[in-house]
Amino acid sequence: MTPGNPGHLPARRSYREATARRRLAGILDPGSFTELLGPSERVTSPHLAGLGLAVAFDDGVVVGRGLLGGRVVLAASQEGGFMGGAVGEVHGAKLVGLLRRAERERPAGVLLLLDSGGVRLQEANAGLVAVSEIMRALLGARAAGVPVVGLIGGGWGCFGGMGIVARCCDALAMSEEGRLGISGPDVIEATKGVEELDAADRALVWRTYGGKHRYLLGEADLLVEDDLAAFRDAAAALLASPRSLDEGALAREHERLARRLADFGGCTDAADVWRAAAVPDPDRLPLLDADAFRRAVAAARGEEP
Amino acid sequence: MTRVWDTARRSRLARLARASAAVGGGRWVDPGRVTPLLEALLEPGDRVCLEGDNQKQADFLARALARADPARVHDLHLVMSVLALPEHVELFERGLARRLDFSFSGPQGTRLAQLVAAGRIEIGAIHTYLELYARYFVDLTPRVALVSAIAADGEGNLYTGPNTEDTPAIVEATAFKDGIVVAQVDERVERLPRVDIPAGWVDFVTVAPAKSAIEPLFTRDPAQIGEVQVLMAMMVVKGIYAEYGVERLNHGIGFDSAAIELILPTYAERLGLRGKICRQWALNPHPTLIPAIEAGFVESIHAFGSELGMERYVAARPDVFFTGRDGSLRSNRAFSQTAGHYACDLFIGSTLQLDLAGNSSTATTSRITGFGGAPNMGADARGRRHASAAWLRAGREAQADPAAMPRGRKLVVQLLETFREHMEPAFVERLDAWRLAETMGMALPPVMIHGDDVTHVVTEEGIANLLLCRTPEERAEAIRGVAGYTPVGRARSRRAVEELRRRGVIRRAEDLGIDKREATRDLLAARSVKDLVRWSGGLYEPPARFRSW
Repeated sequence: MTPGNPGHLPARRSYREATARRRLAGILDPGSFTELLGPSERVTSPHLAGLGLAVAFDDGVVVGRGLLGGRVVLAASQEGGFMGGAVGEVHGAKLVGLLRRAERERPAGVLLLLDSGGVRLQEANAGLVAVSEIMRALLGARAAGVPVVGLIGGGWGCFGGMGIVARCCDALAMSEEGRLGISGPDVIEATKGVEELDAADRALVWRTYGGKHRYLLGEADLLVEDDLAAFRDAAAALLASPRSLDEGALAREHERLARRLADFGGCTDAADVWRAAAVPDPDRLPLLDADAFRRAVAAARGEEP
Repeated sequence: MTRVWDTARRSRLARLARASAAVGGGRWVDPGRVTPLLEALLEPGDRVCLEGDNQKQADFLARALARADPARVHDLHLVMSVLALPEHVELFERGLARRLDFSFSGPQGTRLAQLVAAGRIEIGAIHTYLELYARYFVDLTPRVALVSAIAADGEGNLYTGPNTEDTPAIVEATAFKDGIVVAQVDERVERLPRVDIPAGWVDFVTVAPAKSAIEPLFTRDPAQIGEVQVLMAMMVVKGIYAEYGVERLNHGIGFDSAAIELILPTYAERLGLRGKICRQWALNPHPTLIPAIEAGFVESIHAFGSELGMERYVAARPDVFFTGRDGSLRSNRAFSQTAGHYACDLFIGSTLQLDLAGNSSTATTSRITGFGGAPNMGADARGRRHASAAWLRAGREAQADPAAMPRGRKLVVQLLETFREHMEPAFVERLDAWRLAETMGMALPPVMIHGDDVTHVVTEEGIANLLLCRTPEERAEAIRGVAGYTPVGRARSRRAVEELRRRGVIRRAEDLGIDKREATRDLLAARSVKDLVRWSGGLYEPPARFRSW
């Protein structure tokens, strides 16, 4: 720490700026990761090659096995640097295979490091099928008692079908920089016009999709700094407290959503939600670090921070 | 026959009388009457300074002048540091002005080149800032100056605030040589925070309908700094700043130098360099310098201008910045350029092209952009007589004969990646500036920094120390030795380059003990604009375009 500036130094190792493999290396126990179906296997997209587009030897996702705090976990990490982490046939099949393996092998948990714009448009049908298969496999693993935890803090956020996959997890950890949604800002602007959502208004985009808003809405369970160590701690904490997947839990979730709609349904901007949620000084929220933000929200909710 | 000794004063009185007849007497002019005022004041062929600084612009007065009747106002000679607004170009397109002496044209560079090619504009010269201000006091003194200020009080005193910039130099030259000064202000107030320009030097004041234009030119978003820039910054800190003990300096405005600013609290701190390097600066208030200021590296900064969003931060750090009794920054480009030239031991900046003699240029064949301030700071101060460790060491290195009269040297460092955008090689056998000079009929190719002033060239491949080169051939080989895979770099003699490396003329990252794997963005003390806001304790208020909140 520098004199006069405790806490002002940013995270030492950014999660957002790390590649998919560096994220895994930073979150799992050092040297513990073994990749399955790695780049040397050369399993690439048949569709992209047909369109004359460049392929990646891992099709934009890294899957494998490793240790987290000494316990065996399966993990997948999407590489935003290849087609924005979009899900094609091979990419999707690797995720499905990993989740089915989890159902079979019963590891301590599955980590999904999500960084994806959604389905890959060049192989749309295969990608859409893949997303539904991922959801089915994910819920299968959960039903078998294997907790699945999603981490969102990459540059591409988590959108489209992968946004739905994220919300099928037991729990999510997000950084403020991470974004979660179904239709991304550019899609909404293109279909509904700039009056509906100005995708170039970065402040609007982040307060609508960003980790802080998702945490406040109850969609992210933990808000962390953009730091590999913080994501690692969050992953370990969330794996330790899986969410039940029974009828009672679903009913409670529906109740929560109904309440949310009643509380915030009239809001037209995330800032209105923050005001309606009675968080003090809502304009200051984007500037707070993760800890201070959690304390402010806890105070507004009348909880222990 | 007795000679008349006050023709300029008589002309001034005649102009004021015409103005009084046209728009009524008095200092305050209705904004709707400014065009008739200027038509009354100006005479064909007049030398006019239309204040266009690096940052602030007398934009309302520029628009008012552009609307003047070309039958009454024509063939003006504009003397102005920065030609930035479309209205500035319009003056030439409409025939109101014919001749131009300036420093920098930035966004209007392309239109300017077209006008020159079409014969609609005569360029006297493209100056450096200090050179142009100097000529205001010798052979380019304005008859009329149109300047910009934030506020005026009832008497007509002006407050120019953080962006004082060029105003004092312009007004001083004009007012004391019987010229006429017209000011646009954002507002008229009862009491000014401080007086930057006394009322007695100003003839007319108008309250502009909108605040004067200003651009955040010096804000570099840390999110856009790449790992190659971090590596180059590490080499500069360890191979130049630490090596020479550079305490007083100026930085250019690119992402390359922003990377250096951002690794001071991390990398330089780890090397134990706090208090030893980068202590005193001539620099605009760069937001990327906030972490180094907060970390205790920076002791003092004199500024050419200001930067939007930095006002509260600067006001809260009076030990570092030059602030008025009122607490706000007082900048002054003429003084800061002088400071950068004479009192700094090092200038570092980016460039687009470098030739084998080390000449550097940002000129391209289709644009006339000019220089701004880099050449004043990126030039050895031949009039300097005070010593410092860094200056003396550079001088020693440059001297082949140890018995010759000792003399120091300024360190002038050019930073460039071997390839720039679109894989254009940054190293060339012949600068585009030559072709621009030919097509535009210029007396000189527009060279930003001359090779004989450049002491170090830094690329991702290493540092070439030109001070240690003894012949032009050696110099060219040293430059090839850091020019990477560009055609210039590939034409190197491997043996000669290895010999230069053995002598320490060329130093690679590994020669400096730098582990390239460490050159990641994690070394940046701030990786986003929001990080800068956090470092500032919330005092820095970035403009909307730099915010994601």
